[in-house]
Amino acid sequence: MAEVVLRRLLATVPVLLLVTAGVFALLHLTPGDPVDAMMAESADASTKESLRRELGLDRPIAVQYAAWMGRLLRGDLGRSIRNGEPVLENVSRRIRPSVQLALLAMAISLTIAFPVAIASAVRHNTGVDRLGTTFALFGICMPNFLLALLLIFVFGVTLRWLPISGYLDPLEEGWSGLRSLILPAVTLGLALAAVITRTLRSSLLEALAEDYVRTARAKGLSEWVVIRGHVLKNALIPVVTVLGLQLGTLIGGAVITEYVFALPGVGRLVVDAVFARDYPLVQGVILLIALGFIVSNLLVDVLYGYIDPRLRRL
Amino acid sequence: MVTRRDFVKSCAGASGAAVVGLRPGTAAAADAPKKGGTLRVGFYIEAATMDPHLSGSKVDRQVYHNIYEPLVTLDTRLGIKPGLAESWSQPDPKTLVFKLRRGIKFHDGTDFNAEAAKFNFDRMKTEPKSIRKGEVANIDTVEVVDAATIKVNLKKADASLLATLTDRAGMMISPKVVQERAVELGRNAKGAGTGPFEFVEWVKDDHLLIKRNESYWNKQGGPYLERVRYRPIPDDTVKLQSLQSGEIDVIDYVQPRDVAAVKTDKNVMVLDVPSLADFAYQLNHARPPFNVKALRQAVAYAIDLEQIVKGVWLNVGYPANGPIPPTSWAYDKAIPPIKRDLAKVKARLAEGGKPGGFEFTMTTNNIPLSVQEAEVIQAQLREAGITMKIRLVDASTLISDGNAKNFEMISFQWSGRPDPDGNVYQFFKTTPGTSFNWSGISHPQLDALLDRSREVGAQAERKKIFSEVTKILQDELPMIFIVHPIEPKAFSQRVQGYEAIPDGMMRFKDVWLK
Repeated sequence: MAEVVLRRLLATVPVLLLVTAGVFALLHLTPGDPVDAMMAESADASTKESLRRELGLDRPIAVQYAAWMGRLLRGDLGRSIRNGEPVLENVSRRIRPSVQLALLAMAISLTIAFPVAIASAVRHNTGVDRLGTTFALFGICMPNFLLALLLIFVFGVTLRWLPISGYLDPLEEGWSGLRSLILPAVTLGLALAAVITRTLRSSLLEALAEDYVRTARAKGLSEWVVIRGHVLKNALIPVVTVLGLQLGTLIGGAVITEYVFALPGVGRLVVDAVFARDYPLVQGVILLIALGFIVSNLLVDVLYGYIDPRLRRL
Repeated sequence: MVTRRDFVKSCAGASGAAVVGLRPGTAAAADAPKKGGTLRVGFYIEAATMDPHLSGSKVDRQVYHNIYEPLVTLDTRLGIKPGLAESWSQPDPKTLVFKLRRGIKFHDGTDFNAEAAKFNFDRMKTEPKSIRKGEVANIDTVEVVDAATIKVNLKKADASLLATLTDRAGMMISPKVVQERAVELGRNAKGAGTGPFEFVEWVKDDHLLIKRNESYWNKQGGPYLERVRYRPIPDDTVKLQSLQSGEIDVIDYVQPRDVAAVKTDKNVMVLDVPSLADFAYQLNHARPPFNVKALRQAVAYAIDLEQIVKGVWLNVGYPANGPIPPTSWAYDKAIPPIKRDLAKVKARLAEGGKPGGFEFTMTTNNIPLSVQEAEVIQAQLREAGITMKIRLVDASTLISDGNAKNFEMISFQWSGRPDPDGNVYQFFKTTPGTSFNWSGISHPQLDALLDRSREVGAQAERKKIFSEVTKILQDELPMIFIVHPIEPKAFSQRVQGYEAIPDGMMRFKDVWLK
């Protein structure tokens, strides 16, 4: 297993190189200029030129990339063009709300998806199943921003149970921090629950048709023991795959939810940075998001091995 | 539809009516202001820097006007009144002498005096990253006459300079703060200003907090509020809902689509603040098709401004006759906005050698209101036989394309400046190299008028010059002027004493909470 992990870790190096080079090239190919964006209210050409020189933006792209890479190898992600703040400091401040949101959304989705999927699979083709699949369809079709606004309207504006926007750290503020994350986490969690429900229901149905399930039932085991001990574990692999991919997406890509709820997360940071053409910041955040994806996929692979011993040697 | 006459009347009355909580007939008028409380303000975007000399973002100014003070300030009718300078005089057109108030201290305890004022002007002119350089370019030197007097020597006469000094270019920062921690100032303005509120903290992406300056020099009125807490809420709908649910007390802007609905909400007060802004499209005079004047005019006559303001802006704005907004003393109501006239379109198309119409591309911001406006213009032009393609870009690309003159017609939205010069000179004066004269217009008569508008001191005479300028612009069309937007602000019923100034900046000195 250790060898698998090591091999996978080594494979991340070319992936990260490709990602950073690709993003660097794309960013510089995109029209727009950081100095123009920063000095939108000024047309003073000489000031802009001197700023471009100071930021090293007047050098060829390849030289700029090499300089960025050189700094990266020394553990320096550079500074934001817009506010001069170190990129790492910027990202580390933003990562906490994003991770908390992702984990809470995931917890909500699992809490909903498991019972619904199991009920749907066990009561296959009945009213319960149809209700479950309708929920899944609804969750997948509902756009994030619409669900977010509906939740805000009901629980924030009308009932005034939960705060509408902003972020308080649950680790520091406790309950009020958790409250600030509930609506965004439910917004993300419902969509994810729908995906997991569909995936789990399908794989449960597949597993339920296996011979070992018939054997287990023939042994006289209760239906719950059959489901928990034999069916569920075998049906988990596709769910773990989905979860692993989604964790990366949730941390780096919950842009719309972060925008709507004014959460200071990584997704919002990267979009704002792209709009401002803040090259070092975009590069740094994308690198860390890519790293996050790789690590979550690695975790998935390790989990595969735990769930299915046959995969440990692959 | 509000007529221009109604609007001019409403602007004229702005000083009396545009005060939240003090409208005639409301119970609040009788209440005495009381100290205390935290005002929670929602903005669409976070501030970029706390250093006024390096700031290029409008939202920064919203905070600055509470912690920093300029030498001179604006009144509700855009008149200039004393700020940190108690008086000024102009011995000759190229000299301005400011008498500074004595006994004022920066929040760090150091004195504000003539040396500090000179330090600030010098920094604006020499700091490599200074974004104020253009605004103070006409200042040659600043001399310290005595501890409370400075003499500003200009390179040439400039009647617009005083108005420029009502904003960031006139704001005074503690020299000690700049000398000791200039790099940090962008993120931490502790001790840096002289204003009614002091900077406390800025938790990036979350909030910016300021508190009452207990030893504020101006003992008339506030500051009453204990603290002001600014929060960025990027989604307009959510920002509004946060106000309606009581999570925040003030929002800086209500989208036109929401104005009617919000005005029916009893928990919220909406204040229509006429702005200094002009929203227009620049036409590139250097490349076809708009290197031909008749074709520029054909497009202008094909556009129905009233319909755009009514249908897209939902009357939260006024059709523009030029770059100068109706809030300005220089606005000439005798010049009507260009009216749609399809017969004239036909004639101009023939004159421009395109009797069957022509095709061009408009570059505009990819935001809902701009897209809607572009689509309406596209439909109006189609009726006149002109085909317009729409190219949607983000703000950064828009600015770069404009600066590089890489466009045929491009959206240009200017937040406006208190002096008409700030909406005119840099856009239409012949300028080699980069400037906001994206259209590339070079018109000797216009150049002469623009220079003269700076040399002439008397407002009445300047007004006549700006009228002439407006007429030339309507004929030459470096830009097609669309709308002067209103910038509605909304408040919870707790907020009292807010006075609106058409520069759109929210000054909270005299605001208090019920």
